[in-house]
Amino acid sequence: MTRKQVTFSALLILIAILAFLPVVVKKDSTINLALLVLLYVSLASSWNILGGYSGQINLGHAAFFGAGTLVTRSLWLAGWNLFPSLLAGGLVAVALALLIGIPAFRLRGIYFAIGTLALAQILYITVGNTLPMISSLPAQSLATYELVPRYYLFLGLTILTTGTAYFLVNSRLGLGIMAIREEEDAAESLGVSALQHKLLALSVSAFFAGLTGGAFAYYHVGYYPQLPFAPEWTFDSMMMAYIGGAGTIIGPIIGAVFFVIVREFLVLKLAELHLIVFGVLFILVVLFLPGGLVGVWGTLQKALARRSRPKEIKLTPTRES
Amino acid sequence: MLKIEEIDAYYGDLQALWGISMQVNEGELVALVGPNGAGKTTTLRVITGLLKPASGDIHFYGHHLDKVAAHKIVELGISQVPEGGKIFTAMSVLENLELGAFVASARKVKDQSLQWVYEIFPRLEERKNQRAGTLSGGERQMLAIGRALMSKPRLLLLDEPSFGLAPLLVEQIFAMITEINRQGVTVLLVEQNVRAALELAHRAYVIENGRIVGQGTGDALLSFESVRSAYLA
Amino acid sequence: MLEPLVQNLAFGLLVGALYGLAAVGLSLVFGVTKFLNVAHGELLMFGGYASFWIFTLLGIDPFLTLASTIVFLLVIGLVLYKLLFARMVKLTESVKIQNTLLVGFGLSLILQNLALRLWTADTRSITTFYSGSVFTLLGVRFPIVRVASLVIALVTLLALDMFLRRTYTGKALRATVENWEAATLMGIDIQRVYLLSFVLGAALAGVAGCLVSVGYSIDPVMGMNWTLKGLIVMVLGGLGSITGTFVGGLVLGVTESATGFFLSLTYREVVGLVLFVLILVFRPQGLFGTKEG
Repeated sequence: MTRKQVTFSALLILIAILAFLPVVVKKDSTINLALLVLLYVSLASSWNILGGYSGQINLGHAAFFGAGTLVTRSLWLAGWNLFPSLLAGGLVAVALALLIGIPAFRLRGIYFAIGTLALAQILYITVGNTLPMISSLPAQSLATYELVPRYYLFLGLTILTTGTAYFLVNSRLGLGIMAIREEEDAAESLGVSALQHKLLALSVSAFFAGLTGGAFAYYHVGYYPQLPFAPEWTFDSMMMAYIGGAGTIIGPIIGAVFFVIVREFLVLKLAELHLIVFGVLFILVVLFLPGGLVGVWGTLQKALARRSRPKEIKLTPTRES
Repeated sequence: MLKIEEIDAYYGDLQALWGISMQVNEGELVALVGPNGAGKTTTLRVITGLLKPASGDIHFYGHHLDKVAAHKIVELGISQVPEGGKIFTAMSVLENLELGAFVASARKVKDQSLQWVYEIFPRLEERKNQRAGTLSGGERQMLAIGRALMSKPRLLLLDEPSFGLAPLLVEQIFAMITEINRQGVTVLLVEQNVRAALELAHRAYVIENGRIVGQGTGDALLSFESVRSAYLA
Repeated sequence: MLEPLVQNLAFGLLVGALYGLAAVGLSLVFGVTKFLNVAHGELLMFGGYASFWIFTLLGIDPFLTLASTIVFLLVIGLVLYKLLFARMVKLTESVKIQNTLLVGFGLSLILQNLALRLWTADTRSITTFYSGSVFTLLGVRFPIVRVASLVIALVTLLALDMFLRRTYTGKALRATVENWEAATLMGIDIQRVYLLSFVLGAALAGVAGCLVSVGYSIDPVMGMNWTLKGLIVMVLGGLGSITGTFVGGLVLGVTESATGFFLSLTYREVVGLVLFVLILVFRPQGLFGTKEG
């Protein structure tokens, strides 16, 4: 089996496990934890589409996440069905992305990053000031609240996000996007419209962040509307993508799982420590391990492969001494 | 004094220089000429340490230049006027010159050096408090050369000093370079303006596509058939 | 009535001086090394805590211990540079810019949570016997502490300006900003220049932090807010001019106050960011173009 087939089968098995999880495990806390992991995978994957593949560091990802929550929550509580609400959330996020992206992509280098950060902060502060009241589900929704369907929503969303990322990356568009990361001017001279590709990556990234936000709004019973706009969501997603392996499909998945596990583990001991740990890991990855955990795994595989080959040679008789 | 032996140099994976060998003796004015993109600037960058060679040796009065950090090259007595001069436009003419004497040994004799430079380039003294960015093209080149002289170099490297200058100015600059050489500074002149460089130089090397394809005295090369047809037609 | 407005603007001016000071540190590092240290705000925060703890534990006035805060931040700056940023100097331009941004961000996270760990999330402030004192000029009240802070900020920037214009090392720094290759050809050790500017940037953050702890308040999560203020002012005031940056800080302070006065507190919080985005979009060349060109 090729490495790709191995990975693919592993993922299928994983999906199967996750699909049957609520059937086998009846504990709410476990399902909630799995749901959280799926949420992060989705966020990290969507960030990765722009940040990891096109190299444009978007520090305002939370704006799309938040926009999705706002729109979906409002529509759903107003009586809309769930799926149209979710879709609306995703589309509004895309609209926001285009609004931001068209001027922002004129900025080279770090100005794009700090520009998107500033924009997200503007939204964060504005929402916090205009909607300070907690958003709670009305009584009858509370009564009929079920965790399991929400879990499956997140599972489906995560599969959709990861799958789309995979197809996008392996398409001609994906090649264009990655060419921009490597050398934007060279790509332009070859006829790759940098702006169009960047906008595409940004839109897809924002769409899924928005959908995830919508799912978040559907999941949470009560939360402050400002919360999903908080910069932490962006930073956590970014760290997960990098630590797992930016620019790969599996990277964000590994990063998200790793993140949640370590956080759960450390929260028992010392609060905030998990963020210090991740900060350090993040720096280590940026400085020394650009491929993240995926890269480390790849290097390990190669090292093991090299070790196993000489044994075969010894079995064949040779004339040389 | 300067001996370059079999230098190979790369920009990333792209090889730029193949087995470059050259020599500059004390007091000489040596020219390195060739077309655009031949590797002239690259060769200078290797000498001044801005680009480390993949193989080969550079000796300067017994020092292995390829082992010396870029900013220490000046202390050894080599000063370069980079392509376009690269003066500090936001700083005054005087400040630019002062920076030329940055290394400790030069700083001590800064005032004398300043006088010397003003003698060669009186225009600089006139404009000493002006922002360097306000100078004309020719004045900038003069400033760049003056700045390089402030470190009292034993070897002066000039990267295309005539570039972008009107012919009259080119004559002036070259006259000044000859004068500087006459006053005892050894000069390695890199130039696209082959005729002018060869007329000036004691000896010259011709470089094409990263390889030395010819060498000899300035006059000999000037009369050499292939050089005439390739560059002087 | 004009009086509340003028009072408001006065306060804006006083805080603007600190914005300017914070921005100069950020701008110095960015100009020389092209690293945008997004952990600058956290360094400022640490400066504030250094002053706070020296005052709380030893009882010495923060204005007197400013020197020790500076030293403290110089050391931190040195350690952080050698540990994290020094190794990124040799990278190609675009990778260097991206990686330093990411490392800076990781660093800010670590420092912020370290502070949370060590000192809890409580807001702190230094209160001295003269903290409440005010002097009144033309009906406008000026808190003594904040005016002293303005003066100190000015003195610090003046000292920095002298250093950059009168000393050889300062000129070497300015030369590196323009063209590091040419600077190398003069015999300037770029590594040392980078280190020096980073360390100076940290020291400036420390001074700002000390002044903030006395005149205002500090808490572990204030870093990002101050980094953003620094960025806004940097863009407003323009790179390469201490005076310009300082004035930019004053402009931001006054704009915020005026916005809060005429519109609402919400708008006051976002006006700086909005200005920032507008300038980035409509005049990025005008303020930064010369260096990139």
